Amino acid sequence: MAIKTGRYGQVKWDPAGTTPVLLISLNAWTGDFKTEMEDVTCFGDVNRVYIPGMKDAKGTIGGFWNSANIEIFEAAEMETPGLLELIPNSTEPTFLWSGPAYLDASIDASLQAPKVSGTWTAAGPFLIEGGALTMAAREARQRRLDQQQRERPAEGEQPAA
Amino acid sequence: MANTSDIASALIAKLGSDPELLALCPNGVYWDESPPGSTRFVIVAFINAIDRGVFGRRAVEEGIYLVEARMLSTVPGANINRAAARIDELLEDQPLTVAGYTWSTMHRVEPTRMTEVDELDPSIRWNRRGGQYFVEMSHTDA
Repeated sequence: MAIKTGRYGQVKWDPAGTTPVLLISLNAWTGDFKTEMEDVTCFGDVNRVYIPGMKDAKGTIGGFWNSANIEIFEAAEMETPGLLELIPNSTEPTFLWSGPAYLDASIDASLQAPKVSGTWTAAGPFLIEGGALTMAAREARQRRLDQQQRERPAEGEQPAA
Repeated sequence: MANTSDIASALIAKLGSDPELLALCPNGVYWDESPPGSTRFVIVAFINAIDRGVFGRRAVEEGIYLVEARMLSTVPGANINRAAARIDELLEDQPLTVAGYTWSTMHRVEPTRMTEVDELDPSIRWNRRGGQYFVEMSHTDA
């Protein structure tokens, strides 16, 4: 493995949530997976102390306006999430983040080539492919998923006691 | 396959096929330099260029081209004013057809006008007039 160029990044999307396809004319994406930290500093602590809360999953996409590819504007109209895949470099196709997400869209039109951008927000587990993680990170993620499953049971099920 | 040189060729062909401009600049339209002995001609040259990419490919090519009529001051009837105006009529907001590209824009970003003293004979002046034109072409497959 080595540091690789961003030139071969990709963003894939499927509004139906099954088989994402490449969105063309994009040249940027970001992902923000920061965990919300609660300040639990007490009298006598020598520095501030925090405990982790929920991990965030949101980000941005960006590129050029292309009338042949208005999927992100269609996605912005949708009330249901699609399936989003974010790939840093397509020559390493197993390293990617994916999950259900909502997309919104913006356009910046000036005298130069109009630019589009959008933000994505997770609508469910939005995760890096498991194979890219260490065992410890995979286990931590599984604990988080299990906890979510307990707290948010499937429709028709009773919450775990 | 998009070829950047084809953009310049299309620009030269567009100017060089206009009878009115050729009547004003009968030596023709050239890239960078004209043939020896030319006295009324048009020069097209690169000023600056930048490529803009999307993931995995080049998507947009932007170039600023100098397009200038040049005339020897001693040539009777030379009309540098009209030649520059004709160049502008031919280029400003006019589409450029180039295989592999989709025309996006072509417009002047800066007029140029200068008088150049001939190096060999200081009594001779070269009049230069035209402009810097911004040409933006997007790749058809981007």
